[in-house]
Amino acid sequence: MLVQDVMRFPVITVGPGVTLEEANRLLLEKGIRHLPVMEEGRLVGIITDRDIRLATSHLNPKGPCPGCAQVGEVMTREVVTAHPLDPVEEAARVMRERKIGCLPVLEDGALVGIVTGIDLLDALLKLTGVTEPSGRLEVRLPDRVGELFRLTGFLAKRGVNIHSLLSYPEEEAFVRAVVRVNTLETHLLAEGLRQEGFEVLWPPKKPW
Amino acid sequence: MVIYRDEYRLYNFGPSHPFSPVRLEMLTSLLQALGVWREPLVPGEATREDVLSVHSERLVKRVEAASRGEGVPDLEHYGLGTGDTPVFPGMDRAARILVGGTLEGARRILAGEKRVLQLGGGLHHAQYDRSSGFCVYNDLSVAIRHLVRSGLRVAYLDIDVHHGDGVQWIHYEEKEVLTISLHESGRYLFPGTGHVHEIGRGEGVGRKLNLPLEPFTEDESYLEVFEALVPWALGAFRPDVLVVQAGADAHFLDPLADLLLTTRAYERLFRLVLEYAEAYAGGRILLTLGGGYSLDATVRVWALLYLVFHGLPLPERLPEGWLREWEARLGQPLTPTLHDPEAPYPEIPRRQEIEKRNRLTLERLTELVRPHLVH
Repeated sequence: MLVQDVMRFPVITVGPGVTLEEANRLLLEKGIRHLPVMEEGRLVGIITDRDIRLATSHLNPKGPCPGCAQVGEVMTREVVTAHPLDPVEEAARVMRERKIGCLPVLEDGALVGIVTGIDLLDALLKLTGVTEPSGRLEVRLPDRVGELFRLTGFLAKRGVNIHSLLSYPEEEAFVRAVVRVNTLETHLLAEGLRQEGFEVLWPPKKPW
Repeated sequence: MVIYRDEYRLYNFGPSHPFSPVRLEMLTSLLQALGVWREPLVPGEATREDVLSVHSERLVKRVEAASRGEGVPDLEHYGLGTGDTPVFPGMDRAARILVGGTLEGARRILAGEKRVLQLGGGLHHAQYDRSSGFCVYNDLSVAIRHLVRSGLRVAYLDIDVHHGDGVQWIHYEEKEVLTISLHESGRYLFPGTGHVHEIGRGEGVGRKLNLPLEPFTEDESYLEVFEALVPWALGAFRPDVLVVQAGADAHFLDPLADLLLTTRAYERLFRLVLEYAEAYAGGRILLTLGGGYSLDATVRVWALLYLVFHGLPLPERLPEGWLREWEARLGQPLTPTLHDPEAPYPEIPRRQEIEKRNRLTLERLTELVRPHLVH
């Protein structure tokens, strides 16, 4: 999944000469939190709802910015950006490490989109969500070559289609695999998997 | 009034498939052995046009071609030819016969009949453009659409252990159809949907209710949330008719799912839905069968349904001759009583936590739909 698959466009922007009041109205009106600042088609900064609040509030420990009336005086000038072909996880890592809420997306210097934390939540939902009617298997695999192959091979031999497969590391050299399959009969599959020596965490074996 | 036809058993995915016509054979033979079987109304088959009232022509064409044995390259894209819903000769007609039964039930209700029990159907997974989960055509939605087009407000209640996704999605934007599905949480079980947040769209908002329950939910917790939710929702919606999909797969013996209902909960549920129909739907109710994959449990649950439906006394033991015949045929022992024995499975250590979580789910659901449903 790439940034271009989750980014929003067209992007709502402002110029540096716009007043803070106008910028704030725009944020409220559109229900957004970030405004890239553009000058002559170039990205020159970014301003957030928080920047505006801090610049205008007595609650700011440093007090409100005395002469600040325009976006250009409050915006952050060094903007961290992404490219449309960056992997989503890279965008997530940058945002997490820099503790920032969005990345304007630039291609050849032009602003083509914006990615926010909310878009990354959408990506998470897409990766883990249910897009087809399906059942769920959860299997703990030893973290070594060929284990996932053994699991998917078993499912293929049973004629079961895999709608999605998610895996993540667990402690002590194990990997947890969550597989969504196109069948109601996951208990039957689980039984078959257990007979082949797999550790199936879901569905459970019923003792009656 | 009971609707049934032997040709329901043509809907047959093969000897090792869980959605087995043996269930109907076993059920009718039990009811006969109990001396309670009354001649049912024999319905006609639904027409192609009836099916097209809720399904796409694309899907119907493929079902028709596949049931003639013609190769269709993109069958799987339409949910057919899979392990769950394989193709068999005559599938289109077999499915239309089931639809015909449920549709006949709707017609009878419109003609003034109050209570109808359709001993078949309940194929709640079939969607507009896709067959799914043992369900080729959606008999419930065909009947519901017919009722709505005749000017009735329809409440649909689904107690199958799986989410009633097909019915929900087909009527998702309809104001005249309330759907209520209680099921094992989609986090664990097929089809994976049925979250509390699925509450309808457009005019249908607040009229699609989902109560996903924790695996290993038992009688008490199930009945607690059922009795809190269903009369409340029906009282707010005020339907003209109640359509019930009475799947039996929430039973603890069911091999496909993880809820732990016993026959005692089912008896109570059946009595309650008849009461609710009286109290909130002018007494009009159309019941169908549905899932249920333990032959032993499913047949007893549906026999209970038949007996409660007719207001007949419940026998304690099942007829000896019937038991011997079916035990020999299935090669397995059967529960000799209509009800399950007391404490039929070991104690569940997480019971309290499960009860708490089900209550919380109910709270979330009612918070979400109250502003839309009650005014």
